[in-house]
Amino acid sequence: MTSLQGASKKKGVALLAILLAFALLAASCSQDSDTTEDTTATTVAADTGTAEETTAPAPAPFNGTEPVKIAVVQNSGAGDYFQQWTNGAKQQADALGIEYTWYDAQADNAKQATDMETAIGTGVAGIVVDHGQTDTMCPLINDALEAGIFVVIYDIAIQECAPGAVQTQQSDASLADLTLGQMYEDIGGDENVGYVNILGIAPLDRRHVVWEEYTAESPWAQQFFVGEFTNSVATDNAQLVDAALKANPDIRAIFAPYDELTKGTVSAINDNGLSETVWAYGIDISNADIEVMTAEGSPWKATATTDPNAIGAAVMRTMILELAGQQVDRLVDFPGVLVTQDFLVSNEIKNMVDLRAAMPELNLSAVQSADWIPSIEF
Amino acid sequence: MSKNEQATDAQLPEAKHHIDFRNLVVRYGFIAVTVFFFVFFYATIPAFRLSTTMLSMLKFTSVVAIAGLGVTITMVVGGLDLSVGSIAGMSVTVAAMTMVIYGQQGSVAIVAVLIAGALIGAFNAFLIVILKIPDLLATLATMFLVQGLKLIPVEGQSVSSGLILRDGSVAPGKFTEGFLQINRGTIGAVSYPVIIFAVLTLATWFFLSRTKWGRIMYAIGSNPEAARLAGARVGRYKALAYMISGVFAAIAGLILSSRIGQGDISAGSSLLLDAVAVALVGTSVLGANKPNALGTALGAILIGILLTGTTMMNFPFYWQDVVKGLVLLVALILSYTLSDKKQRHVEAVPT
Repeated sequence: MTSLQGASKKKGVALLAILLAFALLAASCSQDSDTTEDTTATTVAADTGTAEETTAPAPAPFNGTEPVKIAVVQNSGAGDYFQQWTNGAKQQADALGIEYTWYDAQADNAKQATDMETAIGTGVAGIVVDHGQTDTMCPLINDALEAGIFVVIYDIAIQECAPGAVQTQQSDASLADLTLGQMYEDIGGDENVGYVNILGIAPLDRRHVVWEEYTAESPWAQQFFVGEFTNSVATDNAQLVDAALKANPDIRAIFAPYDELTKGTVSAINDNGLSETVWAYGIDISNADIEVMTAEGSPWKATATTDPNAIGAAVMRTMILELAGQQVDRLVDFPGVLVTQDFLVSNEIKNMVDLRAAMPELNLSAVQSADWIPSIEF
Repeated sequence: MSKNEQATDAQLPEAKHHIDFRNLVVRYGFIAVTVFFFVFFYATIPAFRLSTTMLSMLKFTSVVAIAGLGVTITMVVGGLDLSVGSIAGMSVTVAAMTMVIYGQQGSVAIVAVLIAGALIGAFNAFLIVILKIPDLLATLATMFLVQGLKLIPVEGQSVSSGLILRDGSVAPGKFTEGFLQINRGTIGAVSYPVIIFAVLTLATWFFLSRTKWGRIMYAIGSNPEAARLAGARVGRYKALAYMISGVFAAIAGLILSSRIGQGDISAGSSLLLDAVAVALVGTSVLGANKPNALGTALGAILIGILLTGTTMMNFPFYWQDVVKGLVLLVALILSYTLSDKKQRHVEAVPT
């Protein structure tokens, strides 16, 4: 009997455990709307945009009583950049009362393909595709277009294989051109220079093209070209640049067109005590980068960048224009802005919030907009 | 209770006149959870009701389920195959190399992938049966080996059409239209991956439950020594199980590569945990309390339903792992905490 009682006690505990599990599952459903709002709230706390006033009534399909439904098929929403991008895109969609389903494939290309199929199947009016592989997404983008769904993509090369979709991208060429133009202004033409980059990564390849143009046209003599992609880009590339600097201490500047590479370059320059004579030029900016750039005697003289929040919102505005039949171009480039060390120091800029306040052009709120779109300003 | 009574109860639960609540939970709890969520999503999400949503959910599930079926077979013989994710990932690279770099037809790629999968399975079997390394550790080593080795011929790059080869020439081939049909092709509204999934589920179920070999596999998983004494060639059955698992993982990889359309080197990286999870979840379905094909398929479908439903309700992505964890936990409670059957493998040893 004792053993039987013991057994039934165990049964009770087990039943309790299973009920708890069910309760948890049920709770996770019933709190759905709360959960989503909570996460938005925490993100928004960092980068809340304000919607501009509109001066014209919205055209179809935004003038009906039914909300316009779209899907966003994202390759990955994780990481600082994509969190901000997503934040901007969601705020812009919310400002027009668009109803969206957000698919996040967590960097799984096969999952993104099925997400796209599901999105097409749900019969939304438009689909925004954020990143992904051309080979994977192109046939599906064409499926969507055939089904009468408008497609706007961000940063995938699809112009050739899916000419009906709108391709948007941040202009890597303009970013590289801005920072290299500043470098040319600072050091002049007839100098030895170094180069740090990782080829085989689409945006870095596009920046590389501009570098090749500059070195071909100017008398800059490239003394070294290093760079490798690892899990800790800054630290590992600092070693490479360190070795290159020891072999070529007579260079005047280094172009490292990705902020992790620039940070590695800066630390190598500092370690070799060359910050007076060797300057660094980069691309991208973050709170940490601002700290490095504004440090006493920092060799990082200039960088070119965009605000991912503003880019996300501008991509969403492109979708909005496309849905309203007002998007003509099939390729949209979002321009970058140049941020110099002088500008940061003289305006006492300590972080991204200061920078956005001092550089309203980071906002892009006039880009891809219309008088009936409440553009989000960050 | 004597052992005899217990056996009779398990076989004839309806013979009992009073309702045993715990038994009901163990037998039908999992099905009830599946039905509950299906109805819940069906009622609350308009897009969930579409047949296209259901079919693309099944299509997404098929890859995990097929790899899970392979894991199920290795679990039946008392092991576990941790290399399925790597094998599927390797298949993507092998398929891409065959077609893009060597310019071969899709059919050649399919054969190459299946052979590669069977070979890795045979290598696992060699480690486990001949070198006597425990299953988990052997397949863990294989997992790393395959993951790294597949990158050597492609120098860590994803193989896509237009790839520049080492000698400066452009890769001659591309993913053939026929090969892409593995994922895109349909019979009626049902796509090939779903059909492959259904066929392999039924074939595995038939093999494990309706053939002598299947029953011997269960006996080996339950007590390899007893099975050996009873005359079963334990080593051969284990080897067979790992080779089937390797081939199933390769089939999952074929669908993946057809879906991605290039030799994505990160493909399959999330597959292992999902496949093992659905195989574990499968043990609890219908109170079977042993790895079984139908359970694995149903487990994969439940997880598919939950992922589709929560995505459509705009849950943030990190909820997906919470959902998977909870499903697995419920399944484990059903099989370990609530079930009568203390042993995972209850089939009698043939004498």
